[in-house]
Amino acid sequence: MEWANDKSKGGVLAHLERLETQTNRSRKNLDPQTETAESALEAKIHKLRCLRDKLRAEVKERQARVKASTASVEPDQTLEVNEQEAVEGKQENMKAILQAYRFTGLSGKLTSRGVCVCISTAFEGNLLGSYFVDLVIQKPLRIHHHSIPVFIPLEEISAKYLQTNIQHFLFCLCEHLNAYAGRKYQADQLQSDFAGFLAGPLRRNSLCNLLSFTYKVEPHGQSFPFCARLLYKDLTTTLPTDVTITYQGTDALSTSWEEQRVCHENLFLTKPLHQVFTSFTRKGEKLDMSLVS
Amino acid sequence: MRTEDLTSTEKTEQSIKKVLQKHRLSGNCHMVTFQLEFQILEIQSKERLSSVITDLNIIMEPTEYSELSDFVSRAEDRRDLLMFFQSLHFFVEWCEYRQRTFEHFKEKYPEAVRLPEGAVSSCMAVRSPREPGFELIIVWRIQIDDGGKVLPKLDLLTKAPRRALQLDETRVLETAPRGFRALLGVLGIEAALESLVKSLGVGEDH
Repeated sequence: MEWANDKSKGGVLAHLERLETQTNRSRKNLDPQTETAESALEAKIHKLRCLRDKLRAEVKERQARVKASTASVEPDQTLEVNEQEAVEGKQENMKAILQAYRFTGLSGKLTSRGVCVCISTAFEGNLLGSYFVDLVIQKPLRIHHHSIPVFIPLEEISAKYLQTNIQHFLFCLCEHLNAYAGRKYQADQLQSDFAGFLAGPLRRNSLCNLLSFTYKVEPHGQSFPFCARLLYKDLTTTLPTDVTITYQGTDALSTSWEEQRVCHENLFLTKPLHQVFTSFTRKGEKLDMSLVS
Repeated sequence: MRTEDLTSTEKTEQSIKKVLQKHRLSGNCHMVTFQLEFQILEIQSKERLSSVITDLNIIMEPTEYSELSDFVSRAEDRRDLLMFFQSLHFFVEWCEYRQRTFEHFKEKYPEAVRLPEGAVSSCMAVRSPREPGFELIIVWRIQIDDGGKVLPKLDLLTKAPRRALQLDETRVLETAPRGFRALLGVLGIEAALESLVKSLGVGEDH
């Protein structure tokens, strides 16, 4: 295969001649060193091929096991003699399946008017609240009632997508709700677990996309030298888009304070809020250890 | 989807109740089959109830989609069940769209279009029937980024005879990949591919 990067001089025939003489020359100069290197590589290739085949066989075995375990449930159900037990078993299974769908973040159940969709939120493995939207299947599709908080732009999202692409409507709503739940979780964690680092309460709006607080870095320090303002302009993310940190300590502004200030700004932009403060705690512990030794 | 639920409860001092739920569920998203095992720890104290996924294991049946394995390990590490389901859904949708698009072009221009990897190909080769030395290869990868967002990434590779490269003073072939990306932004995927195929003189009567 020739790719579009190679250019040669003297035309195709001359090039072919050159290639021919090159191969003839290299055949004559068979180096014993290259021969052993070649055979060593060949042995390596053989070894890797055997390993690959072994892994492939293992994968096939696991596949078969998975298939067997999912298939083995059915024969058990058919062995059930008592009809009522069979029906109850199926009911339990349906309930379990419905519950399982909640873990996907988006689940629903049919209602007399249409469908009630349940959106579950989570952040970093923590399962947070759920919200529902009750839809009436009519032309036009409309929302009968819902538990979406008022500061989530539901009207905007439904105006854009509800009538044309209901899947996109649900996913968009899901995004907003998950992001809000994640931001709220971070703010709650900061307030409850790191209250000692804050001077006064954490100020936030209901959408949790504008936070402001005054904090210190050392757990045993007396003053709270930094003032932070976090703005999350993108409502579908859990990390801020704008971070402003101002130094308001009583010491003269030295380079080390300025370095810290810039470093903090970067930290808040890239890590979740409570994790930033966890790293402050760890740094503080490290300093204490150095004092002891 | 099928699920099994085994629950164990533990009561500790000061009326803090801990419940560990173990779940196993298996299911499929179109042609992709998976089995999940995860544990949820529920801690109920006086002030609050917290539910945390403490362990997540995802077993995927091997597919032709190699991009999935990285994504699956990330989801496991972060115990992010929601991201797993949502990204998987979008990923499979994109794969199906890619397959439909490539098959459409193969049907429309059977002599010029070739799918080197078969039905679930991630690339499409277009060759001009009059000048078989020229070939345009469109590579369409579907990536899942760190945050779980599914993004299509298309690139163009060109193949031409050496003589043609020598005659190519305006370096059209060299700049083709960049031009293709710009074209995608303007026309979208299907129209861009259509215009590429047409540019090789396919479908013209001579």
